[in-house]
This record gives sequence, C-alpha cells and structure tokens, in this order.
Amino acid sequence: MTTSHRRRRALLVHFLTGVALALHAAASGAAAVWQPFAPVARPAVPILADSQADSPTGGFQARNPIDAFIAAEQHKRGLKPRPEAPKEILLRRVYLDLIGLPPTTQEQAAFEEDRSTDAYERVVDRLLSDPRHGERWARHWMDVWRYSDWAGWSGGNQIRDSKPHIWKWRDWIVESLNADKGYDRMIVEMLAADEATPEDAQSLRATGFLVRNYKMLSREQWLEDTLKHTSQAFLGVTLGCAKCHDHVYDPISQADYYQMRAIFEPHWVRTDPVPGDTNVLKAGLVRVFDTDTNPPTYFLNRGDERKPDTNRLMVPNVPRALGGALEIQPVSLPASASRPDRRDFFHRDTLAAADAVLAEARGKLSAARKSQASDGELKELELSLALTEARRGALATLFEVEALEDAGKRGSEAWAAAAQNTVLRQRATAVAEARLTLHKSRLAEAEEQRKVDAERAKLVSGTNAPQTAVTTNNDDGAAKRRTEDEKLSKSLAAASSHRAAAVKALAEAEAQSKTAPGTNYLPRTAEQYPANSTGRRLAFARWIANTNNPLTARVAANQIWLKHFGQAIVPSPNDFGRNGKPPSHPELLDWLASELMRPTSGAQPGEPWSMKRLHRLIVTSRAYRMASTPDENNARIDPDNTYLWRMNSRRMEAEAVRDSLLYVSGGLDLERGGPEIDNNLGLTSKRRSLYMRQAAEKEVEFLKIFDGPTVTECYARRPTVVPQQALAMANSELTLNAARSLVKALSNGGTAAAAEDFPRDAFQRVLGRKPSPEELRLCREFIEVRKGSASGSQAQEALAIVLFNHNDFVTVR
Amino acid sequence: MKPTPRDQNSCHGITRRSFLSDTGMGFTGLALGAMLFKDGIARADGSAWRPPDGRPHFAPRAKSVIWIFLCGGVSHLESFDVKPELNTFAGKSIADTPYKDVVKTEGKDVVGANPAHGNRKVLLPLQTGYKAYGKSGLVVGDWFQNVGECADDLAVVRSLWTIHNDHGAQLTWQTGRHPRELEHPTLGSWVAYGLGAMNENLPEYVVLGVPTGDCCGGAFTHGAAYLGPEYGGVRLNADSKKPLAFLKPPDAISYEEQAGNLGLLGKLNHLAGVDYPDDKNLRARIKSYEMAFQMQTSIPETLQFEKETPETRSLYGLDRRECKAFGEQCLVARRLVERGVRFVQLFHGGGGGGDWDAHSEIKSNHTKLAAEVDRPIAGLLKDLKQRGLLQDTLVVFGTEFGRSPGAEGTGRDHHPQAFCAWLAGAGIRGGTTYGATDEIGFHAAVDRRYVTDIHATVLHLLGLDSRALEIPGRKRLEMDHGAKIREILA
Repeated sequence: MTTSHRRRRALLVHFLTGVALALHAAASGAAAVWQPFAPVARPAVPILADSQADSPTGGFQARNPIDAFIAAEQHKRGLKPRPEAPKEILLRRVYLDLIGLPPTTQEQAAFEEDRSTDAYERVVDRLLSDPRHGERWARHWMDVWRYSDWAGWSGGNQIRDSKPHIWKWRDWIVESLNADKGYDRMIVEMLAADEATPEDAQSLRATGFLVRNYKMLSREQWLEDTLKHTSQAFLGVTLGCAKCHDHVYDPISQADYYQMRAIFEPHWVRTDPVPGDTNVLKAGLVRVFDTDTNPPTYFLNRGDERKPDTNRLMVPNVPRALGGALEIQPVSLPASASRPDRRDFFHRDTLAAADAVLAEARGKLSAARKSQASDGELKELELSLALTEARRGALATLFEVEALEDAGKRGSEAWAAAAQNTVLRQRATAVAEARLTLHKSRLAEAEEQRKVDAERAKLVSGTNAPQTAVTTNNDDGAAKRRTEDEKLSKSLAAASSHRAAAVKALAEAEAQSKTAPGTNYLPRTAEQYPANSTGRRLAFARWIANTNNPLTARVAANQIWLKHFGQAIVPSPNDFGRNGKPPSHPELLDWLASELMRPTSGAQPGEPWSMKRLHRLIVTSRAYRMASTPDENNARIDPDNTYLWRMNSRRMEAEAVRDSLLYVSGGLDLERGGPEIDNNLGLTSKRRSLYMRQAAEKEVEFLKIFDGPTVTECYARRPTVVPQQALAMANSELTLNAARSLVKALSNGGTAAAAEDFPRDAFQRVLGRKPSPEELRLCREFIEVRKGSASGSQAQEALAIVLFNHNDFVTVR
Repeated sequence: MKPTPRDQNSCHGITRRSFLSDTGMGFTGLALGAMLFKDGIARADGSAWRPPDGRPHFAPRAKSVIWIFLCGGVSHLESFDVKPELNTFAGKSIADTPYKDVVKTEGKDVVGANPAHGNRKVLLPLQTGYKAYGKSGLVVGDWFQNVGECADDLAVVRSLWTIHNDHGAQLTWQTGRHPRELEHPTLGSWVAYGLGAMNENLPEYVVLGVPTGDCCGGAFTHGAAYLGPEYGGVRLNADSKKPLAFLKPPDAISYEEQAGNLGLLGKLNHLAGVDYPDDKNLRARIKSYEMAFQMQTSIPETLQFEKETPETRSLYGLDRRECKAFGEQCLVARRLVERGVRFVQLFHGGGGGGDWDAHSEIKSNHTKLAAEVDRPIAGLLKDLKQRGLLQDTLVVFGTEFGRSPGAEGTGRDHHPQAFCAWLAGAGIRGGTTYGATDEIGFHAAVDRRYVTDIHATVLHLLGLDSRALEIPGRKRLEMDHGAKIREILA
C-alpha cells in the first residue's frame, strides 16, 4: 500500500469516526461536537431558573458555577438532584476524599454542633492544609504517573525496572501537593528538573517520573513506555499506536511519534551521591540527565527496531495537531551537575569517611599494643596506619587542587604548588602501600616455610618410626604425603615470588619518590557527565505546561474530578482522542480546565495551576454534597448516574481500607516520607500504605486483594467485590490486631461505664456514625451472647471485627 | 470468582422489600456444589458490546480444563516428538549431516537461540529410549512411558514455536505475549471471565504447584491483567492445612464464633442497606462473605485427598516418594473439576528459571523430573476416564519451549524454534499427531503453530469466541486470538 493509500484510508476512518461522534452528540443532545484538540475556551456559566420549589430543577441551590453546569444537563433530562447528604455522611466523605482517613469521633461531634454557615468550608480548608492531604492525593497521582519501586531479582542485585531510591520522587509528590506547587511547575520538574534547576537536589527528585521507565532488558521498551505514558498521563493521547503506523483515530502520524522520541533519545538515568553517605547503593539521588547531545533518532519502519530508515533522521518536535511549537535552547550545566563528586558535601563526606578509617586503624593498633599481638601483627597494623594516614593526606591536597581548578585557577602558582604537594603525597601513599604489601608477603612466605618445615619433619619422623608394613610405591600414605609435600613446595615458591615482586615494587616506588615531583597528579576516578544538556525535555515540558496546550488542563481537571466523584467527565481519562469516550459534561470540563489555568471565580483570583483551589471548588459544590441515596424516577432516566443526580457510593481504595483500619483503632503511624517499606510487612507495619513497596511482583498482598494499583498502568482504579477481600478482612492479623487495639483504646481502664458504652462508641468510631436503636440492640445482644463463651474483652473484640467487616466501613456514601 | 451472576438487568426497579427478600435476612449458607450457572447457549446478538453473561457463544464440547505446565523447557526430542536421527548422527555437526539445510530455514517470526549461548550444532544423541504405543502407534520417549499408555487419548501438536529464547517464554505460553509487555490476561482468566462458575463455593480458576518465578513472569502467569482480579487464578497449596492466604480464621476465633460474627454482620449489613436498596456492591459484598465462609470449608474439603481409595491414590503415585507431590496436585485437580471448577492450572518445577532447564546432565535431570510427573499425569487421564469425567474435561500438557538438538555439554539449550504439547479429553480426537518438525527437530517445519493456537483450540472447545470476549478499549492483536487447530478435534 502506498503512502497516499494509507493517508486516504486514515482520512476515511477519521471521517467515519467523526460522523459517528456527531451522531452520538446529536443523540445525547450536546450542542456542538467537543474538540479536545482545540484550545480551551472558557464557556459561559449557564444561567439557571430561580430556585423555586416548582422550578424544573426542583429547588436546586447552586453553590458555585459547577452546579450550574450540572443543573443545566439535569434540566434537559428531567432529573431531580438528590438533597444534600446528612452532616455525618458528608464529613466522612470529605475526610476520606481529602486526607484518606475518616474523621475522629470528636471531629464528628464538633462538626455536628457547629451551626455556622461556613462550618463545612472551614473543615475543607483545614483538611486541604493538613499534611495528610498530600499523602492521600500523592497516591492518586502515583497511579497516573505510574509510580513503581525498583523491581528485579537475585536478591536485588539485578535491577530490571525502575531504580532504588525512587521513593524520593514519591516524597517530592507529597511535598509538592502539600505546598500546592503549581501543576505547570510540577510538570516541568518531572520532565526536566535537570535542565530547569540543575543544582536543586529537591526538584531533581521529580525526574523519578522518567527514571521509573528504566528497563534494564530493553532501551527500546524503556523509550516506548516513556512516550506512551508521558502522553497518556499529561495529554490524554494514546501515542503508543503511532510507533508502528499512523494513529488510526487521532491526527498523529508515525513521524510525529519519532519526532517526539527524539526529545527523549538523549536522556538516561544515574544515581548521584547525597550528603551523609558516599555510597550511592545505600543512599543516592536517582535522576535523569542527557548523556549525549545529539544521538540520532531514525524512523523505524513498522516500529521495528531492526528496521531503522537511516535516511529519515528525526528532528525533535511535538505533534502538529496539538498546536504550539517546541522552542529548544541547549542548557549549559553547572560543574556540580556534570561532576557530582566535586560538590562540597561530597568532599566533606569523603574526608569524613577517610577520617573514620584512620580512627579505626589507630584504634586497632593501640588495642593490639595492649594485647599479646606478635611483632609481625603489630608491624602490619603500623604499616596499615601509615598507609591510611598517607591516603588521607593525599585526598586533602587533591581536593585543594580540584577546588582551584573549579575556580578556574588551573596553571596558577597556587595550583602548581598544590598539585606538586599532591604528587608528593600520592607518591608517599604508593610507598606506604608497597611497604605494607611487602610486609604481608614476607609474613605469608614465612608461614608457607613453616608449613613445609613441619611437613618435612613429619616425613623424617615417619621414616625413623618402626616399620610395621613394607613400604612400597603403592603405599597410599606415602603417596599422599608426597603429593602434599609437592603442593606445599609450590605454595612456598609462589609466596617467595610474591615477596620478590613486592621488594621490587617498593624499590620502584622509592625511586620514583626521588625524582622531581611535577604537577602530574592522579585525578580521582569518578563519573563525569556532559557539561551540556540538549534542552529538548525542558522545551517539551514547557510546551505541555502551557495554557495554550489544549489537553494539559483538561486531562488534569478530569483526573481530579474522577477521584472526587468516582466517575470522570471524560470516562477514558487516558484517551481524549476519538477512540476514547465522549465527555458527559464537555462545557463543565472546559470551564474547570480554564479555572485551573486562569482562576477567576471566588473572592481572590488565586494562583494559576493550583490544585488545592480546584479541590476546594469541587468539594464545596452542591453536586459534591449530594446524598447517594436512590431515586426511582431518576434511575429510570439515567441508570448510570451519568448526569450526577446523586453522589456515587464507592468502596474505599485499598490504601484507605488498610490505613483506616489502623487509624480508627489508634495504631496508625503518621510518620511521613522515607525509604519504601518491605511489602512483606503489610500486615504488621503501622505506616501509611503509600509507603509500602509497590513494584511488579513486589506488592502487599492485602492491598492487591483490594484492587491496589497496577504498576504498569493505572489511570483509573477498578474496584471489585471478591471473596478474597472478605477472607482478608475477616481473617487477617491486621483486623484482629486492630480489633484488639480498638477495645483497649475504648476500655477507659476497664470501667463498667466504658463497657456499657462500647457498642455505641465502637460503632461511631469504626463506621463514623451513630448506630440506630435496632443496630445498637443487635450489637449489645451479640456481646451478651458471646460473653457466654468468652471473656468480656473477647466479646468486644468480636464486635469490633464484625464492624470492620461491615459494608459501611469500606464504603464511602 | 464472581459472587453474583452478571445479569444485565438494571437495578432501578429494586425496592426495599425486594432487597430484603433477595438477599435474605441473616447469614445463609449455600449448598456445596450448587449448580447455579447452567450451561446454555447465549442468544446470537451482533449489537453493542456487553460483558459476557456466563454462557458459551456456541455449543461447548468441554466444561473444564486442566492446564499442566512444566517449567524450564521439556525436551521435545525425547518426549512426544522423538527424533531417532539424532542417534544416527550423534556427535556430528549439523553441517556434516544430510540435514545441514534445516538450520538455514529460519522462520521469519521465530526468535533464534540466545547468541550468548553460542552454537549448539553438534548433535546430542537421545538420552532415553522410545517406543510406539497403542493403536495409533504414537512414539513416546521412555521418560513418559506411563503417559505413553494413554497414547490413544492424546492429540500431539509437534509444530509449536514461541517468541522468547529465555524463560520469559513461560509467560508467553500463558498469555501469548512477549514478557517485556508484562501483564496480559492468561488463558485461564479469559475462561473465568467468559464462562464463570459452575460452583459458587469454589473459585473458577485455581492454580496448583509453585508457579513461574519472578524472573520469568511470576504472578503474571496466572493473572487476569485488565480483566480484573476476580478473574485471576486463585493459588491453592495442595495442602489442606494452609491452602489459601487468609483462608483460616485466626486461632483465637473458633468456627462457631466466626459463624456468629457473620450472622451479626449479615443483619447489620441488611439494616444499613435499607437506604441503598439498589447498591450492587452491597449485594455483591453480602454474597462474597457467604462464599468466603463456604470456601473456608469447601476448599479444605476439596483438598482432602486422604479420603481417596488406596487404588486411586496409587494410580496417581501417591504411594511413591518421587511422585507424591505432583500426584497430589493432579488428584486435587480432578477433585476440583469434579466440583465444577472451570480452569485448573498445574505447575511443575516452578520458581527460578524452572527445573526442566537441563543445560547440563539432561539425562539425569529429565529422568528424575519425568519420574515425578509421568505416573501422576497418566493416573489423572485414567482416573478422569474411568469416572466419565474425561468427556467433559480437557487436559493440556505444555512447556515454554523445546530443547536444542545440538549438545550443550551433556545437556541441551533453550530451543524456541520448535516444541510440542498435547491435548486430551473433551472434544479431542485421541491418537492423532499434528504438524511436524524436521528430522532433527530443529524447526517446526510442517503446519507451524504459535502458542495462541492452543489457546484458540481450548476456547473453541469451551464454546467461546475470543473476539466476542474482547473489551472495548483493550484491543487485542490478531496474534492474541490465534486459530484453532481443527485437525485435532473429534
């Protein structure tokens, strides 16, 4: 098939899908076909009929513009929104939504009693500034941005996916959300902090977004995942198909794909040292950098890496259909970026490590002097100490030289003096090392000699012993002894030649010391990285994080809406193209996108790209505050609740289930941040679930059972109801321990009054609401019956277990 | 495992009263073995996509599948595709035999041997004897002499090839995809998704034995990927003491106490659900607790193979040290399909690269491992047959790839260019062979088949059309669907 054939076919498909979409739009009553690839135009807020009881909207009280958009769609369909939810339901909903934990009994009571008109808004403001908010929403964005701890095998010696230390990116997400860093800024840092702020170790953590795609087994797959998921996460475009052919549904050509690939072609991952530890295996900052300033990107025929078209060199660019242009400026990097080992802290830490080695050598020697150490041992320790001292000295002068060079003073007098000094000290180190080696080789030789002598002595005494049997050539014992003797002689010869070599090496080192020193010192062997970066990723990030980009804000606003309502406006959050699903409220989405980029509503204009602002707007809308109770008439018109005539009842996400279990029973450890926790500790660790290790084949079983995130792709969770969840909740030690803690927490020193109140208090604490009289009666009766066969506290534990398994515990109404 | 039949009735007509009567007050057990989902034919309906309703798309031949997988790569040359020419030309380089040209005819989609492993061109003779069995005269290596006796029930496919030259091919066998593409639904999960349960007290898709290790696909080899975890394989240990995570209540809680707990739970859930009578999740959750409670007893009961007669136990080799472990798995597999489980996936030699990976000493390796599985697998076939279960049960025997005709010292290397598998039971024409490799077993030469053609054959026998199972937005490749192997069907 020729190119023009292909193009014609693609056009035909475009045309047909366009027709289908238009028909769909006509059928669903939308005014015009929504154009996700056209820039966001701020739609006018619909004007509602007044809120009289007989109005078509049934007395709908719009609290902010969101409600006007929702009401307009409901009005068209004759849907009547449900009333606002009771306070206790609303409070639990917004707590779990904004911080991932339910309110305490005290918080419930305080809210219940607060009759002021802005009681709810004040709760929202408090929750949005609670540091637990960042942890809650970080997990949502970790889904979208495909967070993964490292994966591999052989006990961690082979890192196959992602990288160790990537948890720092997770902490960056939490901190950025808590600080309400602009979403545009976050995009720039994740894609190009190494180019935007190369000296800022804090923002370099953000490039974990790219590091996460690292794939030891295939660079091809690494880049493919990078392109595929960067475009789905930020742009809602399924670019992946264009690797092998022009996109069948969206105006993205195969050439567009490879132009975008050229943006990422130069980048690679590395681990820089961090203050406090010079060993990057133990502690490090994993990040990206451009390893090559102009690597070629070729067009791959049919996406086959074995068939590059070397005549088609691809230039970095963005798909034309999405508008805008890539403005690439190469970035010249500071020395600290190209030579991470030259930073002050690294010098300090290296010297400190050398000091520690020195102190250890001194300690060993003085301990040996007090004990019965042999002369040989003592001398070895003395020589070791001398070597350690020499090394420490050489390191210090070497750092002086490096500092002068970094200050541009290479060739100056001071530099020459420092360099000469370094050469002298490096020579002294070589001599000290040769002396130690020689001493050790002498000791080894003496030891071999001793063994040979002992064996010979045995042979001699053996010959002198009275003969009990005729010794022949076949005598096994003698033959064995001969072999042993040969082996020992060989070892001795080897030791002697080592000693001779050491003598020679020392002589050479000493001779070298007597020559004129010069300035030719030995530099440190350390990684050196390019001093320039292509600037491609920074340009790309700025193109995404731009108010002219049609998709960025729409996709983000849609994701945020999805997490608040359990249902997205565009139901395919990673595909805004024609193969995705059309939006239920296109104008609302555009308004939200516009509001995210250029906030206008409310008393203060606010910062652009502020997520917290959008959260506040959404959760204070009337739509969000609705009850989730059913309505037969509405259900007949809109069974799937597409037009939000009620709030959706939802099951908590896996992390919220586990965290809430620990939290309501008083056991949750609220420490923030730090290295990931072994996934095998899921039932015993008290930390929040987002800190548990999460990687391919390394997941907490309990979280997995509750539909925890799939590390490869998780643009939306798919909650299920399966018996394994029932088993995990009913039978795990997590639940049992939580029940025990809860009983302890509510026992109040075991007073009779506390025991009397337990069913009511436990109900309130676990389910976030007061029990009805019937519920309370059943709970009391249960405890009484159970006390026939168990102790009072065991009966209470049993009730606690039942409440943790209650549908209302895992459900957000 | 689905707690509810996937009826597509919308719930808007459900009232408080019907909610209470539908779900019953309190905790009610379901009879073990209740056949809730009777097989029937779904209405032909070419309209918009809808999730499967648990009924096959056309008349099925099989109800259940036992999917046996030997990890590490079994030699095709010495099992079910015996190549006597290897003895004739033993020690000779392939280039010095009349078959020197076979190596050159690399199939275009076939991955070659791992270049790091060098050339395995000097032929290694067969490391075991062989003979013909049954009326069909199927030639089988002596390592599998017990299975050989079932020759007339087997349909051997000798022309398989795969796309990965390392043990990631274990994942390929289960999903059809290259391991770098990670998680995709396995055949078992498609079956669970497409057909659902025949017994509400047991999972639809059960995994026995130590599955593939983390190196080579791990949990993905029995996962459901985007189909959702309810369709993934549920791992059971063939050990009635600890068959499943969280299956047993903590020691502190007795069975009676737990029944009491669940009794209260049922009542409280009903009371709380009155305001939400149309809540599908609540209804599903109530049922899931009932099933979970049943599983606490139904699963250990299923695993009580101690109750089988001595004759049966002996048939599976439970009285022999070498094959007791796998024999128990095979026996449990029979007990599971007997109770209506759809798909039982049996692993042998799992973890790491797989035990069958005989790079050296293939003779002792395969002798030992075959002794572990030969009698149990033959016992399973015979037992299914004598109980009349084989006409509804499809048994499939597979591995990730074959082993090289050329020697790697005393062993054989990975060989993705050719391997074999067999099917037996429901809908299979026994005593047939399909496809062929060349005379030295280097390439799948005649009627070449990719692994998903086996998947397609299995789905076909279950009455499923894999295209009809496809989910919008989850486009499957042509390669994923495969094509059924008509020639081996009865």
